[in-house]
Amino acid sequence: MIFDSYEAYRAAGFRPKVCILGSGPAGTTIARKLGAAGIPVVVLEAGSREFSDESQDFYRGTTVGDFYFDLDITRLRYLGGSSNHWAGWCRVLDKQDFEPKAWAPDTGWPIRRADIEPYLPEVHDILELPDFRPDVPVSDDIRWVQLIKSPAVRFGEKYADELDKSRNIAVVLNTYATELAGDGKRVTGARLWSNGQDAGTFSADYFIVCTGGLENSRLLLWSNQRSNGGVVPNAAALGRYWMEHPTFEGGNAILANYSEFEVDAVNEAFFSPTLAAMERLQIMNFGIRLIETPYAGVKRVIADLACTAPDMAEWAAYQLSQNLRCAAQLYVAWEQAPLASNQIELSKTDVDHAGVPRIELHWKKSDLERRTLVEGLKLFGTTLIEKDLGRVRLMDWIANGEDYPTNEETAGHHHMGGTRMGTDVTRSVVDANCKVHGMDNLYVGGSSVFCTSGQANPTTTITALACRLGDHLSKVVSV
Amino acid sequence: MSFFRKMSRRTLVRAMIALPALSLLRKLPDANAGETGRSHADPDEIVEVNGWILKRSDLA
Repeated sequence: MIFDSYEAYRAAGFRPKVCILGSGPAGTTIARKLGAAGIPVVVLEAGSREFSDESQDFYRGTTVGDFYFDLDITRLRYLGGSSNHWAGWCRVLDKQDFEPKAWAPDTGWPIRRADIEPYLPEVHDILELPDFRPDVPVSDDIRWVQLIKSPAVRFGEKYADELDKSRNIAVVLNTYATELAGDGKRVTGARLWSNGQDAGTFSADYFIVCTGGLENSRLLLWSNQRSNGGVVPNAAALGRYWMEHPTFEGGNAILANYSEFEVDAVNEAFFSPTLAAMERLQIMNFGIRLIETPYAGVKRVIADLACTAPDMAEWAAYQLSQNLRCAAQLYVAWEQAPLASNQIELSKTDVDHAGVPRIELHWKKSDLERRTLVEGLKLFGTTLIEKDLGRVRLMDWIANGEDYPTNEETAGHHHMGGTRMGTDVTRSVVDANCKVHGMDNLYVGGSSVFCTSGQANPTTTITALACRLGDHLSKVVSV
Repeated sequence: MSFFRKMSRRTLVRAMIALPALSLLRKLPDANAGETGRSHADPDEIVEVNGWILKRSDLA
């Protein structure tokens, strides 16, 4: 069932056991798992069926530190959440991403990759993926990795009909949970905002917060402040260890053989470091996206020339009436080290229309990450030399140690951390089952539980964790 | 017709390849291994020149 207003939902008399906040990939996946298990669940979605400026306005906020996107454009607030602008890149975090790294504090998860692998067949169905393939070593330091481009499933579009027909799932649109109330052991209710006004409180046996990698922290910080610590009793890490995937054009390459690497349908190949290389250089994980432009003959020579002398190549291309570019471009995205200082705070001066403080995001890239960028590209360049595959050129700002440019991709719109998973209550917010430490009926879904970010786009891992949490709750919640 | 339009395509490409190579050589570090006290530079040594990650023998 899908209701367009909270009033319509109340009139229907539906009695849920579980309340999920948010209808993005995590919230929708958990709801479908619970519904299939016969557990009545309500999904409260703050937005409507379509994008609107009015809804996005609730997401405005500020960033302190490095340049970052406006917080109301880097995520979407309507049915299906940010899957509505997802590019569709899929890869599960590497096995090594779950392991602690001696050179990077606060790394390591309380679960291993093997704990989510049983859910990958379900993830393949949900995200409509072909089978994943194993990595292929290029050298002792570099491996070819598969990054699948899915059809970019929009969860709202794909599952609206199924949700509407479900007897166990009620999706309530235009209904914003502004805060949770708690007594330090249980969440006792949620305060709602609907149709531009306070809509009273709502209760259920269990609450699952799936409002996104920024909003989960915001909701819990505000709820905890209003409840005097009654919602997240161990809040030292709440909002902290927030992470992104910094993303920039890293350079160019001239390849000896442009068919050496397997490329996808748009001539892209992906590479990452081996664990041995990461350990030796004490760097984080990274991903290099090599984009080939397969020219032949004179065009190929000029395209290669574009790497070394772009102005000359542009002139030559003009003479040939061709629009050519460097034959292989390199884009780099890398893993951010989890730092407590990268955190989501509540604004002290600005609130949204419902009176909830907006986000003040503190985000800064560290020296370790700069080293990861530089050493990662050098590692790739050295591998191409050793294997006689080609040569790499670093962008000037990287080679010269200059500041990060502000006119490039900047980051992946991947919002991770803030309610990270762990066993130490001073350094984490949820346990290995995504249950908030000290609370009996409060869980968190989505990338905010990530302890580390790896280099892979997060949606695949988000969906696998949601399947796992759905299975866990199916056993915990009594019908 | 301009000077460049009178040149053959082959000549143009050769000239374009040569120019950036000259640029690389101008900034070549440690170009004369004898002056740094080494009798022989390792041709497989990895060097960075103008952002390029190269093998020293690339510069010969």
